[in-house]
Amino acid sequence: MAKKKNISVAVRPTAADHGFNIMVTTFMVLLLIILIVPIWSTIALSFRPANYIGSYLEGMFLAPWKWSTAAYRSLLGNQGFLNSFGNSLKILVMGVATALFLTVPMAYALSVKGVPGKKWITIFVMIPYVFDVGVVPTYLLISKLGLVNHLPSVFMPVALSTYNMIIMRQFFEGIPNDLRESAFIDGCNDVQIMFKIILPLSKAIILTIALYYGVSFWNDYMRSLLYLQKSALKPLPLLLRDILIGTSMNDNLEASAFGSAPIEAIKAASVFISAIPMMIAYPFIQKYFTKGTLAGSVKG
Amino acid sequence: MKKSGKNYLLVEAIEKLQARKKELEGSLKTAKEQQNTAEVARLEKELEPVNAQIKEKKRAFRKAENGHLLAEMNRHKFIYFLLLIPIVYYFIFKYIPMWNAQIAFRDFISLKRTGITGGTWVGLKNFKTFIGSYYFWDLIRNTLMYSFGKLLVSLPLSIILAIAIYECTHKILRKVVQTLSYLPHFLSWVIMYGILLAILSPSEGILNDIIKMFGGTPKSFLTDTTAFPFIVILSDAWKEIGWSAIIFIAALMGIDTSLFEAAIVEGANSWQRVRYITLPSIKPVIVIVLLMKIGTILNAGFNQLYMLYSPAVYSVGDIIDTWVYRGTINGQFSLATAAGIFKGVIGMLMLFVSNWASKKFTESSLF
Repeated sequence: MAKKKNISVAVRPTAADHGFNIMVTTFMVLLLIILIVPIWSTIALSFRPANYIGSYLEGMFLAPWKWSTAAYRSLLGNQGFLNSFGNSLKILVMGVATALFLTVPMAYALSVKGVPGKKWITIFVMIPYVFDVGVVPTYLLISKLGLVNHLPSVFMPVALSTYNMIIMRQFFEGIPNDLRESAFIDGCNDVQIMFKIILPLSKAIILTIALYYGVSFWNDYMRSLLYLQKSALKPLPLLLRDILIGTSMNDNLEASAFGSAPIEAIKAASVFISAIPMMIAYPFIQKYFTKGTLAGSVKG
Repeated sequence: MKKSGKNYLLVEAIEKLQARKKELEGSLKTAKEQQNTAEVARLEKELEPVNAQIKEKKRAFRKAENGHLLAEMNRHKFIYFLLLIPIVYYFIFKYIPMWNAQIAFRDFISLKRTGITGGTWVGLKNFKTFIGSYYFWDLIRNTLMYSFGKLLVSLPLSIILAIAIYECTHKILRKVVQTLSYLPHFLSWVIMYGILLAILSPSEGILNDIIKMFGGTPKSFLTDTTAFPFIVILSDAWKEIGWSAIIFIAALMGIDTSLFEAAIVEGANSWQRVRYITLPSIKPVIVIVLLMKIGTILNAGFNQLYMLYSPAVYSVGDIIDTWVYRGTINGQFSLATAAGIFKGVIGMLMLFVSNWASKKFTESSLF
């Protein structure tokens, strides 16, 4: 998205300019290395064969034809792992659907001008946003609602994020009011204005916010750890945490179930598999997410 | 009473009458001081209908306003319908927890035995226990250390990154760095922990391989109280600077390029252009970001610390949020809630202060 500024004046660059360019390039290359090394080392580790001897550093440069996919095969053949993946997917899909169902109508309603009482509703919404009482009171609510050990407990407490709602509202507010008015004069009612005029124009922001929610639900482990105590309900981040910390030898994930792959490779492979959905979503995130987020945050 | 809108004429009439009333009352006062009874009686007589008229006009105004309000509300029926479910949601998931927060002032035992309101009222006992406990200052120190540390490292780095991306002349390098730099933002801290293990772990980590290569002894960085804070701050920078740079890049795009052209003609080199054009141009954005960060200074990164720390590094790794979370898991509900409210109140004050400052210095604010 960064486009080079077009400067139409040409002046012979000085030594200082060359120094500057070299500095910038060096910084960028260094940063590239710093970004790539950790990711690459995790990938290389996940393909490490069982009979591998040698230091880890050498392992980073292990030739691909010596790689072993044992870690991936054993993970994808493990019932506990697949089960967790399924739980995470369920949370993702149900969560994003619920979140949009709650966020879009509210953001739209609060963006319409001249609704009596809008100010009071905004205050009603902002009070809990500004004053955060912490995790326990919500925990008690979830217990009381009987949601403990049900997947919705992971996304329900955050299914309507005030922050996301405000970003979306700002986007809706940016749509020229004339559009709404002319639709009204042409005989559209409020329902038609929302569904036929405003929402089709707001695909980018809706997708952005959906991705925002999706990322947070997929990555969540704080609420899962608190609310999902049955191991059959464990989402991927919880299982991954168990595997990484080394307490993975629980009821549904025996160490022996992994077969011949070395445990470090199993760890790295599970890290990589957990990251795959984010990597798949990433090109879309890049396209819409940044555009939408910027539209919401930096006005003018 | 608004001066614009449908009832403008009424408002104007009321204002005129009130001005007349004030005038009459003024002269009435002087007449009374001069004990001019005839004048007082005359003025009082004149004042009477004015008062009556004001009353009548005000009633008319209210009636018109109410009618207008009802009509407006009726016109926006659909909007209220849209708000219905979200408001119920807010009530259940945001306001009931606020009601539940009263257990901070009670001796809460359990939901089944006593319920929220069953425990005896103990006033500020739980707050005193929290503030008086020996780990309290550790928690405060760690929380502030991480939030300020991250701010001091990540903010300058993300500004430098934004400028480097903006100034970089290699198109491919620029694209690749930009794309890769904000990928980690989308990875969870569990995944980050896995990646950090691949680098830092004493048995299979790359860093210890390098140390061994130079003849040093391998070290377990994640359980070392000296190394731990650096790991926390640097891994956060690695994960987030690309993402934080986006807002600065957007600000850089908005700079008028004729400024650079003029500077080049005047003989300014690249360094001077950054110093005198680029940085001053994005200063307002830097100020906003800084103030927003200060508003949430007590959020030192729960997800990160909860994932990375272990009992060996509690002394430097425990922040208010992680402590509250452990308290919740261990069932110390009242104490954990008190700590949560303590943090919430300070956080709220910080938010108001930074919002006020933001409004004052940059004319933009959160609310």
